[in-house]
Amino acid sequence: MAAGVKTVILLSFVLALGFLLIILSCALWANWLPLLVALTFVLAPLPNALFAHCGGDEFSSYENSGAIDLGRFITATIVITGFAFPIVLTHSEVITPTACAMSIVGGGLVYGTILAYSAAFKQDSSDFD
Amino acid sequence: MSLPRSDYDPRRVCLNPFPDVNFGKHRRTIGIYLAGALFALANWTFLDAAILSAHAHSPYDEPQIPPPVHVAFVDWIPGFCSLFGMLIINLIDKDRIRGDEGFGDSNAVWRARLFLFIGFALMAGGLAGSISLLVLKYVIKDYPEEFTYYGYANVSQNVALMLSAVVLWIAQSAQSEFDYNLTL
Repeated sequence: MAAGVKTVILLSFVLALGFLLIILSCALWANWLPLLVALTFVLAPLPNALFAHCGGDEFSSYENSGAIDLGRFITATIVITGFAFPIVLTHSEVITPTACAMSIVGGGLVYGTILAYSAAFKQDSSDFD
Repeated sequence: MSLPRSDYDPRRVCLNPFPDVNFGKHRRTIGIYLAGALFALANWTFLDAAILSAHAHSPYDEPQIPPPVHVAFVDWIPGFCSLFGMLIINLIDKDRIRGDEGFGDSNAVWRARLFLFIGFALMAGGLAGSISLLVLKYVIKDYPEEFTYYGYANVSQNVALMLSAVVLWIAQSAQSEFDYNLTL
């Protein structure tokens, strides 16, 4: 279990770093719009988590449920939104390019942490797949 | 003697001649993620133009000249058409269009094809509308480059929406392994 603890500590460190970058990108220029990036990336895994159990609990794996597809579609949309939002704000000179880069990197770290966490601690409940 | 192709079915309304790219069992997932990404990119391209237009200011050396053109409600209409068409296309049951006589009446097949036609017509109309908007509102009037960008963003929004719908269609009509075994 030592490796698990190390992974948790590393991931939480990276998560804190990501939030630090996002908050710095807001606070240094006193413009708190990039904070929406953090909200976007935190919301990104939500559709997949919601729709994951909508299909496939029956013995019907040959028919991929539309709900799962909808969840994946919304997830991709939200992730691209998180990356595109600072770029759009920079383009119309609302935030500075440095703040844009910092919020993008921070958002990527936050989302990467969420992905890595769910990949590392996935519960193997599918024994008979 | 010439045999028809093995996958030829005269009742199919859409035969997509795309190459059969094989990503294994994750093909459907990848396609759907790609479609979502294209969808978001399309809408953010247009929103970028709209936000840029809202923050447009006169040049710093000539403060009395206002920006000559803004993104108005007209610019939003092609995007709405494309979105609506994409919604209609994806609400149709794919099995209905193929026209299997086994379930439902043949009237349902006819209606499904009609709505599919309306959906594709809406998407094509959105694309054509965005191009005509680009030409009529921006290119003809000889605006400087930062204002014709609004028109180009509109066209790329509609192109990306159409690509997204195509990718989603291909991904969802991709046959999984089990389905393939059944139709054999």
